[in-house]
Amino acid sequence: MLTLTIAWRTLLRRKGRMALIAVLVGFGTFLIVFGGMFASSVARESRESIISNFTGDFIIYSDKSKTLPSPFAFTTPLPNVQDAAKIAALLDGNDEVESYAMYSQNYGLIQVERAGKKLDLPFIFYAVEPAPYRSVFSNVKMTSGTFFSLPEKGSGGTAGSGIIVSRYQNEQYQKNYGVTLETGESVTLLGITEGGVNTVRSSLSGIFEPLRYRSVFDYINYMDSATYSSLYNFTGVTGLPDQFNDALAAANVDESSLFELGGDDAFGRLDLASLTAETLSGFTMVAVRLKDHDRAGAVIAALEAEPELGIKIATWDKASGFYAQISLALQAFIFLATGLIFLVVTLIFMNTLIINVVERTGEIGTMRALGADKSFVRGVFLTETLILNISAALAAMVVSGILLVFVSGTGLPLPETISQFLIGGGSLRMTVELLPFLAALLTVVVVSILATIYPVSVATAITPLKAMNDK
Amino acid sequence: MNVVELKDVKKYYMLGQTRVDALRGVSLAIGQGEFLAIAGPSGSGKSTMLNMFGCIDLPSEGSVRIDGTETEKMTDKELTRYRRTKISFIFQSFNLIPVLNVYENIEFPLLLQRSLTKKERHERVLKAVEEVGLQDRMKNKSMELSGGQRQRVAIARALVTRPLIVLADEPTANLDSETGKRIIELMRQINETEKTTFVFSTHDAHIMKEARRVVRILDGRIVAGGDVAGEG
Ligand SMILES: Nc1ncnc2c1ncn2[C@@H]1O[C@H](COP(=O)(O)OP(=O)(O)O)[C@@H](O)[C@H]1O
Ligand SMILES: [Mg+2]
Repeated sequence: MLTLTIAWRTLLRRKGRMALIAVLVGFGTFLIVFGGMFASSVARESRESIISNFTGDFIIYSDKSKTLPSPFAFTTPLPNVQDAAKIAALLDGNDEVESYAMYSQNYGLIQVERAGKKLDLPFIFYAVEPAPYRSVFSNVKMTSGTFFSLPEKGSGGTAGSGIIVSRYQNEQYQKNYGVTLETGESVTLLGITEGGVNTVRSSLSGIFEPLRYRSVFDYINYMDSATYSSLYNFTGVTGLPDQFNDALAAANVDESSLFELGGDDAFGRLDLASLTAETLSGFTMVAVRLKDHDRAGAVIAALEAEPELGIKIATWDKASGFYAQISLALQAFIFLATGLIFLVVTLIFMNTLIINVVERTGEIGTMRALGADKSFVRGVFLTETLILNISAALAAMVVSGILLVFVSGTGLPLPETISQFLIGGGSLRMTVELLPFLAALLTVVVVSILATIYPVSVATAITPLKAMNDK
Repeated sequence: MNVVELKDVKKYYMLGQTRVDALRGVSLAIGQGEFLAIAGPSGSGKSTMLNMFGCIDLPSEGSVRIDGTETEKMTDKELTRYRRTKISFIFQSFNLIPVLNVYENIEFPLLLQRSLTKKERHERVLKAVEEVGLQDRMKNKSMELSGGQRQRVAIARALVTRPLIVLADEPTANLDSETGKRIIELMRQINETEKTTFVFSTHDAHIMKEARRVVRILDGRIVAGGDVAGEG
């Protein structure tokens, strides 16, 4: 009580100097609470946004691929996933999987006629199965037309064929080629294959705008997988007996054995009626969305344990390139900035305390002469520090709390360019957590005690003799 | 029995390479109920001697006994406890704790002792306040008091613990001569009524006259008034 009285009144006596410290401590606390919550909200929203709009929880791709499956991959397309049917079966049979979409990224040309002249427009596209794609990703907002004839909302409906371009892409066509594509217009698609240039007649199903990650999806367009297959000759034959497949595989290795095929029993007895044409997948990526994002590890492990699937798996953070790193970098930045602020606060605070100790040399000496133990002196200083810093911290927490309540309804508005990088766009949904408050309080207490150690050692070293020259 | 006793105490300070001899072999015993002045010119060693009595400085050589106990081997904590329970100080500059009011300043040493109840403390503080005549100043801060009033508070603070000895190092040096005289008279009056042992230092001849025994000191040596038995 005595300690508290002395500490409290001493603080009041040095109001100006102590108010400065309080402001600094308060600012540091605010950084921890608000900054911490901002960083963790960005991390959570960024993950959610990347998973829903960009990559799913993870992407399955061929183990022959040398690059990660990402819109930034230099090798386009990636090698095909070998056994799409088996992967589909595995995913269908897994309860944890909410939905999945097989797709591929490729380049092509759109040929249109304007005033009797043929113009070739380059475009990068995702070849998708429309309905599954939309069940995984919610990033496409049609500004005209439809997403391959699918209804605007909900599942169901039969997907049509065609292409969809982004509004940004269409604007670029206008800028660079003087062409604006119209929804419903007929186009000729050109695909470059090993055999030469293939052409397919198609039409523009619609124009879209990405809701998130514009800087990526403004450059991505869509083609349905059936059109893609015919454009790139992904057609083959099913129903070949296994031995025949094996023999073909062997023949691949040694050309001369190809001629021995004719003598092969299996080949001789081949029932041609059993052969049917089939569309091969041509898919290079399978984006998988899980019911629970936190189960990704287990689901991935189960898939990887599957023998001879010939796949690799990239989790959302790997597959989204540097986007996932941004929130990490932000957290690191906020952490560093907070650390730095506290370092400065600690130094200023220590300095102030030492000035106080020097000013109070006579007073401390007097207390010691009157029989106060060193621990009493230590207690006075520690109490002063804790009263000041904890009340500053609490005040900052209240301010942070009010601010958080204020933005929790609407979300924290961010400049769109920043938001695009952090969370793909839009305002940031902030979740209020207890942890940053506790972390801030703990930090303030620890920093206060650390900052007091040296000044207190100076204060307790003051001998009662110093009472004699108190003026 | 003697309250405090110095035996052949020497004290030197090192100022760089040079040695300053503040006390050059002092022996002095102070008995219960004395009202004693240590007189001498500035720099003669008065403060150093009082510091030895008060356990706020240790001798370079020789021994100090408080209440019959040798202090040489005591730890800082034990010496602090001695100051808290057996010794009181009155300082030249009054040394009130600036953030506390008169009542709280007087109560301070009792709070450090932690042995009395609030009620007991209150009674003791009131009695001490009355003795120094500051009943109507109890809520004032030291800033609001005159020098003489401050020194009265310091006297009350010294008395409140009922110490073995009250040490006052030039208690009148910062007061005008009239006020200084009244402060010494107050101390003497308390010495007579309460039998409290007082030792004060001064270089003022008028003040010296109030003492019942005067020990004269010059260049770190007792030159008059010392007890013959102690001098060896
Ligand atoms: N801390 C110290 N360091 C160095 N010299 C000191 C110290 N304290 C006292 N002295 C010296 O010791 C001598 C006695 O000092 P002091 O006891 O203060 O004398 P007085 O109180 O009679 O004026 C003086 O010469 C003084 O300069
Ligand atoms: Mg002196």
